[in-house]
Amino acid sequence: MSQIDLRIRNVLEGNARLLVAANALNDDSDLYEVGLSSHASVNVMLACEDEFGVEFPESLLRKSTFQSIGSIRRALESLGIADGAE
Amino acid sequence: MTVRIGIDIQSIEEVKDSLTRFGARYVGRLFTVAELAGCDLASPFAPRQLAERFAAKEAVLKMLEPTDIVPEWKDIEVFSSPHGCQEIVLSASAAQLAASRGLGALSVSFSHGGGVATAVVVSDVDVNDNMVRS
Repeated sequence: MSQIDLRIRNVLEGNARLLVAANALNDDSDLYEVGLSSHASVNVMLACEDEFGVEFPESLLRKSTFQSIGSIRRALESLGIADGAE
Repeated sequence: MTVRIGIDIQSIEEVKDSLTRFGARYVGRLFTVAELAGCDLASPFAPRQLAERFAAKEAVLKMLEPTDIVPEWKDIEVFSSPHGCQEIVLSASAAQLAASRGLGALSVSFSHGGGVATAVVVSDVDVNDNMVRS
């Protein structure tokens, strides 16, 4: 598991209010199916911004961005976050 | 007459928590400056008011049934009049989707209790719209 994935899972654990532990999820597990609400996805976005020091542009503020750990990682990578970057 | 209804519910405590943790960044991502003009964010009533408005935005999204293009929250503005009535104004992709769905004027009603806020949005639908189910 990459450092990015670990940090995303920590963000989810503290902000997503999921019905299962974030560490129990697969890369492509549907977060909305395990309890992520639209409102909680806003918290996840803001917490990711704090964790990774980025700002999500309007173009990424959509449901599909927060569909899975993999989709969040891809969004962060599109913002220049590479594995191991602090 | 054919109508379409959207409904959503939002925990007031969750909104209060987000306000506390993220402050202006949180409200700035969800609400326009115009929407917040009449809202005192320091008021103890602010979490409930914002929860109602967020629920209204989500209720409208359900009515719009977006597929490829999902409107942004700020494309759905919720205003309160001095007389206590609420009004919803759509713009950008939200307005375009509403037109394509044949939606008319939107009417919204709020309620709250037990720690949650809820919003119901109703609109008449143009029966000639091809999205209307028979």
